[in-house]
Amino acid sequence: MRKVKGFLLIGIIMSILFSSIIIAPALEMTAEEIINKRDDNEYIISIKAEAEMIIVSGGRKITKTMLILSDKRNALIEFTNPQDRGTKFLKRENDLWMFFPDAEEIIKISGHMLNQGMMGSDFSYQDIMESDKLTDLYDFKIIGEEEIDGHPCYVLEGVAREGVKVSYYRRVSWVDKERFIGLQEELYAQSGKLLKETKLNEAQEIEGRWIPVDSVMENKLRKDTYTGFKIVQIDFNPEIPEGTFTLQNLR
Amino acid sequence: MFSIKLGLKNLTRQKRRNSITILVIAFAFFIYLFLDSVMGGMEQLSFNNIINFETGNIQVAYPQYWEEREELPLENLIYLNQDIEESIKNIDGLLATSPELRFIANLNNGIDEIAVIGLGILPEKYNEVYTTQQYLVAGSIFSPGESKAVIGKGLAELMDLKIGDYITLLIRTKEETFNTIDLEIGGLVNTPHPMINNGIVFVPLDIAQQALNVENGVSMITIRTNKEKEITPIIDDINQNFQKKNINIKAYSWRESAETVIAYSAAQDAETAVVLTVILVIGMIGIINNVILSALERTREIGMMKALGMREWEIVLVFMIEACGVGIIGGLAGCLLGAAGVGWMVKYGYDLSYIGGDMSLYGIPILDKIYGVWNLSSFIFIFFFGIIIALFSSIAPAYWAAHKDPVKALYHR
Repeated sequence: MRKVKGFLLIGIIMSILFSSIIIAPALEMTAEEIINKRDDNEYIISIKAEAEMIIVSGGRKITKTMLILSDKRNALIEFTNPQDRGTKFLKRENDLWMFFPDAEEIIKISGHMLNQGMMGSDFSYQDIMESDKLTDLYDFKIIGEEEIDGHPCYVLEGVAREGVKVSYYRRVSWVDKERFIGLQEELYAQSGKLLKETKLNEAQEIEGRWIPVDSVMENKLRKDTYTGFKIVQIDFNPEIPEGTFTLQNLR
Repeated sequence: MFSIKLGLKNLTRQKRRNSITILVIAFAFFIYLFLDSVMGGMEQLSFNNIINFETGNIQVAYPQYWEEREELPLENLIYLNQDIEESIKNIDGLLATSPELRFIANLNNGIDEIAVIGLGILPEKYNEVYTTQQYLVAGSIFSPGESKAVIGKGLAELMDLKIGDYITLLIRTKEETFNTIDLEIGGLVNTPHPMINNGIVFVPLDIAQQALNVENGVSMITIRTNKEKEITPIIDDINQNFQKKNINIKAYSWRESAETVIAYSAAQDAETAVVLTVILVIGMIGIINNVILSALERTREIGMMKALGMREWEIVLVFMIEACGVGIIGGLAGCLLGAAGVGWMVKYGYDLSYIGGDMSLYGIPILDKIYGVWNLSSFIFIFFFGIIIALFSSIAPAYWAAHKDPVKALYHR
């Protein structure tokens, strides 16, 4: 059964940064089995989280704080830092809307706008829209084993399946052999150029799951820029009031 | 006859007052003619810029693409084949055709990134339809297959780029997968069209097609004709040819891509109507004031003329002739002043750098200079309009003067 990852920025982090893989200790497992196991591990019904996004560009550092609510298919992000207070993003299935309190207007983000960085960060809007199961989009294979910061890792390579619509043509993931979380991931264009690189700074075991709580994404096409993402607090399966993921609630 | 002679003579009796009224009318007419010329010039320049840099005279595309063309989709592209080429080729009045692939891209200079429109072109064909190459200020246009780009001077300054620098275009393929095109800046253009200067990256068509995974697909084919004023029959011919071959592609006039500018032009007409109303009010007030003052000054004269047997309509005619004279002289002076102003605008124009130099902020595709245009019909219209207004404005106060009781008028103090 096709599973959809359940939440927005956390989803991004898990699918982009840690998309990686729960690998069974036995090397006999195929890449497909490993990915499926990873998907099983990442499948979260709903979350409520407080997070921070630290955008560093050309020596300038901006910190944005946010509240994230997410269920299987939808997500709502509300920025809470003084500069952006009241700015909200709503993801419903494959659509994304934004509400700016100053303009008092709801804008649908589509077309070329999806390529732009979310709130000036290195995460594009398209990145946060990716919610399909990775094994449906990529053919994965194990290409080696390496060590990152003293953690032994499996290195997996995913190449986009022919005919599918996918943002990154190729992705290479480093997965911790012991904790089964992604420690690093590289995202490539079809031309072979490295576009983005994500690295894990810290992971915590919460309610029996290893959750990445501090990670960094770098846009490799630009110099001196990266975006950090920290989870301050996270609750699994919170009670989400009806009507949370509606356009009326976005205002 | 006597009334006409007296009316004309009265023109010279109150020289100062009549002169002021004439000046007011002349100034109002000058403003109208000048504004009309500048507006006409802006419209003409905008349309020329759209045709010469953006659309050609005619664009050919699939209707589904045309509906969504603002989004620059990679769906519903034209895949060139013999049937399509033949449908366009043998059209009377056709000068040149240029296939184009338009796509969304992010231009990256290694430090910053900016959203731009990528335009895949065949340089030789593109140059036959558009005049962009005449505005090349550095470097040269690329050849097919060369990994080079041509960008506008404004974009180059914004992204701190010069000839020989390398850029990366971040694009999304037809399958929405990210891809990159590495290009060397081969040429810089500085055109009068702000969009070309600030937001377009020209790349070889084959390079763009390959990177976007669209085989030999193009967004549209643009056409230059030698019958710019009569493109509708050409569009009909092209559409008929496509229909005969059962191809669902259609030809569209450049006007359909210039809706914003045409809407602005309509707004400009409304603006001109407002100016005309103001002029009408100014003229009417001037003439009414003039006739009332004349009647008051000449009350005893009116009484005497009526006592001598002059009829009311003859007295009304005296005042109407005088008002008409003021209208004619004011109109002539206004037209002369207008001709001087319009002549100056046509010859020297107005440099937009004085006010920031980019009308695109207001939705008008003009950069650089605005020139005026001669519009003879405006001169004729405003001249006769002035006379008619003068005549009609004088009737009521003239009748008021002519209707006076001759005895009371004779003893008027």
